[in-house]
Amino acid sequence: MWSINRFPIAWLLPALLPVAFITIYPIAHALWTSLHQVMILFPVEPFVGLDNYKRVVTSDYFLDALRNSLLFTAIAAPSVVILGVAIALFLQRRFFGSQVIRSIVLLPWVLPGAISAVLWVWVFHPSFGVLNGLLLNLGLIDESIPWLTSPKLALYAVVVAHVWTQIPFAVVLVMAALASINSEVLEAGEIDCRSPYKRFRHIVFPEIKAMVVVLLVYNALTAFTSYDLVYAMTGGGPGTATTLLSFQIWRESFSMYDFGAGSAVAFIVVLISAVLIIAITRALPSDLFAKEEAS
Amino acid sequence: MKRRHNPILTFLFAGLILLFTGGPVVLSLIGSVVPDRILLNSDAGLFDEGINFETYRYVFTGELPAAYLTEGANRAMISDAARQVPRSLWNSTVVAFAAMVLNLLLGAPAAFLFARYAFPGKKISFLFLILSPLVPTVALVTPIYMSLQAVGLVGTQLGIILVHTAKALPFTVLILSVFFRKMPAELFEAAMLDHCSRFQAFTRIAVPLALPSIGATGLFAFMLSYSEYMFSMVLSGDAETRPVSVVMAALARNTDVSWSLLNTGIFIAIVPTLLLVALIWRFAVEDLLGGSVKG
Amino acid sequence: MNITRRLFAGMAVAGAAMIAGPAWAEDLTLEFVVWNYSLDTIQDNVRQFEAANPGIKVKVTDYTWPDYQDSLILRFRGNTQTDVIYGGQDWLPAWAAAGFVAPLEDIAPKGAVDDLKKDIAGFALSDMTYKGKLYGLPYYADTISFVYNKKILGDAGIAVPQTWEEVTAAAEKLKAGGMARPIVYEYNQELPNFFDAFVAQSYGRGAELFDAEQKAVFNDPQNGAFQQLEWLADAFKKELVQPETHESKIIPAMNTGKHAFTIVYNYVLAALNNKGDQPRAGEFALAPMPGQAHATLGFSKFYAVTAKTAADPKRAEAAWKFINFMAGKPYTVAKRWAGEKGLGFGQLPLFDDPAVIEPWAKWIDVPTLSKQVATAKAGTWTEWSAVWSAYFRPLLAKAMVGEASVADTMKDGAERWNTLREQFVKQ
Repeated sequence: MWSINRFPIAWLLPALLPVAFITIYPIAHALWTSLHQVMILFPVEPFVGLDNYKRVVTSDYFLDALRNSLLFTAIAAPSVVILGVAIALFLQRRFFGSQVIRSIVLLPWVLPGAISAVLWVWVFHPSFGVLNGLLLNLGLIDESIPWLTSPKLALYAVVVAHVWTQIPFAVVLVMAALASINSEVLEAGEIDCRSPYKRFRHIVFPEIKAMVVVLLVYNALTAFTSYDLVYAMTGGGPGTATTLLSFQIWRESFSMYDFGAGSAVAFIVVLISAVLIIAITRALPSDLFAKEEAS
Repeated sequence: MKRRHNPILTFLFAGLILLFTGGPVVLSLIGSVVPDRILLNSDAGLFDEGINFETYRYVFTGELPAAYLTEGANRAMISDAARQVPRSLWNSTVVAFAAMVLNLLLGAPAAFLFARYAFPGKKISFLFLILSPLVPTVALVTPIYMSLQAVGLVGTQLGIILVHTAKALPFTVLILSVFFRKMPAELFEAAMLDHCSRFQAFTRIAVPLALPSIGATGLFAFMLSYSEYMFSMVLSGDAETRPVSVVMAALARNTDVSWSLLNTGIFIAIVPTLLLVALIWRFAVEDLLGGSVKG
Repeated sequence: MNITRRLFAGMAVAGAAMIAGPAWAEDLTLEFVVWNYSLDTIQDNVRQFEAANPGIKVKVTDYTWPDYQDSLILRFRGNTQTDVIYGGQDWLPAWAAAGFVAPLEDIAPKGAVDDLKKDIAGFALSDMTYKGKLYGLPYYADTISFVYNKKILGDAGIAVPQTWEEVTAAAEKLKAGGMARPIVYEYNQELPNFFDAFVAQSYGRGAELFDAEQKAVFNDPQNGAFQQLEWLADAFKKELVQPETHESKIIPAMNTGKHAFTIVYNYVLAALNNKGDQPRAGEFALAPMPGQAHATLGFSKFYAVTAKTAADPKRAEAAWKFINFMAGKPYTVAKRWAGEKGLGFGQLPLFDDPAVIEPWAKWIDVPTLSKQVATAKAGTWTEWSAVWSAYFRPLLAKAMVGEASVADTMKDGAERWNTLREQFVKQ
């Protein structure tokens, strides 16, 4: 690694500026809001300290929403990464039609959330859903399974839909990472390791580990903070079975007209995301962040 | 790859991937060519009335499906919103393409520096970049909207491009720096001996070698923009410049859109996008993947 | 290639775009913000208005219904030019109190508003009035109806239920006959529709949710709303109900013939019975809302003017012309919505207008409907209603599926209402 003596403005500023534009002032604004009473109904905006945070944490949706969000993240993020790696490894094979499948895999990616929601509602719908229709026709079940309308199943149904939308990105990145592995390393591996599992574990995985960590962090963040697909499919129900924490930012702000509480939820989400990221990078140490500090 | 794979297992996996990623999309194709009155009627066979492209004709020409002209039909279930789909595809492509190009132009040099150089302020600027996506954008909608309103970018494509670029940049930089770091140091040492400038090292060595990864990363920025909903919604102006995610959300949530019209909209939205992504994949990623594996 | 130079070039382009800005033509352009139900019809109405009023242009900006309220709040907070908007009964008091919208009396010529008021149904008038002033004219006004499948009930030999207990009995009979979930119920924490439908059912029982001082009284076990929530929880427990997140999915679900009852706006009935695309069109009918009182909730969505526009005489004048064109006499636009799309109307003379009644008779039993409309009551809408309803809907959702007790839910909801009320009255 080479050194430069001063901060390379010309190289970095183009990347930093746009990001700064949508973060520095907005985040400061949100932080200010979270410490004040900002409600449309009451025009004065007094400083209230941590009251908004207190109210959010003690509100009756908080525990339900937190539990759902953590569960959602805990299932969705690893599923995306594991399936993504598996599919990427598989797609390295050459076979008749492999080109077609490589393109089809990208399909879920091109769809905006609203479309994915419609398609998955159709798959899971209790009255005209395709999955139930199929299972009924095959005689595997006698009565429609209420995928989206039973509090026990709804969260898993929306996880499936969410994972579906996130897989393509994981596949593309893992494939790119696989492709950049030095072929000599692979050839040496062919000779040393007979079992495909061992080959993956000792030769391939270390090479793509940094990418896997990046993906895991990215997917944990996405799962923890996105909600549009879920709300389009279930509206947070049945009951509060698919109520997510990140959605409360929007709900507090725009449905309850309480922007202070909404921003407070946002910073609680930030805090939990940070903990998640630290946990992931600790559990799966990679050279990614370590080297950064060493340099 | 020299290894032999069990062909049956290969096709089984391929079939599963095809079913999972492509299945819901085939649903939308069927839904678009079979009228609701057949589709919802479990007594009728799916193709009893053959297939029917009237909803497609409506989207492209505005001519009403024959069923709407019969006695007793009202126009309650057919909406012009579906006719915005083709135009919105183009709008989204423009926005997403601009976001992609900007991401690579602004992000790649920064990623290169972060990956290969030590300089003052490195740690803090890198941390700033990778931590900025932590705050959920929902909490920042109001201040970002007001900032853009202040500079007159609300209701313009430029505003959406700017936000999408900034949202994707941290990930672009992070992913690209992973790839740049993986490159063998000897290449750059050789370049130094040849008195290459930093800029030449970047454009002549780093970029060509990292092309597949740059392609994959660009694809990511493209898709992030293409499917983003919230900012597209609050920043988009009239129907002329509206992105596809907003149009599809309107179609999916409006009562005046029949199921088959909705699916027609979905399928029309999928096809060109899939073609586009397949092309990018084929030429920007695939060939280069193959190339680097061999090389 | 110099990155900085490129960046500056980009910024220069952005800057130029900013300076060019909106071109100031001689025409006055009204910003009209709507939710995008039948956008093409809206735009066609706008074109007709523009043709009739040279010098005034109208720019339509539309959002989806679930995003509408939020987007409008963002526009208000961001000071985006907005002149005429679609308003809703549940938002009006808060918007009026916050100074977002202005009374129509401020922009209309003397006497014009009073003249139009005479024709408007009572519940619709109540929905558009805040502190004695009229803030809107109806875009449409509708009632929430109890809808059943005539054929299914006929085949099973079941009479149309008159009370909620009879609904349960009928559903149980159908379930015993193999229908898994006879009742489809729209149920989405995030949509006000869900609470409105609940109020409509409670009105069927003759309930009053609030007393004369606007204090919550529904936490009384004798209150019809309390009983209705118990009824819902019971129906869910017996697995008679299939929740559905949006009315757009109720239409295909009911048309599969796997369900017999639902509670929806009348225009959904128009869609259910649409011969153009629905396999079971013609099988659906409305019945008076079950319960002793058979009353229901009536409501109005309306055209309103923003306070900023009302303060600018030129824009105010144009805005009034526009609103009067859309909702004033001779009610051309309201008739069009009613005839073409089955939207209800707040202008009572339309009930005697063959141009409306003839197309309506194809999908709804007009005499039953007019009886239902006559007994329709407005909701109780206060400055804190929308906020409270957003708070209460998830609680209601929990109680329905049995995750919380009815008594706790009603107590919590009533306390929250009363706290907000005090907070606001103090203000």
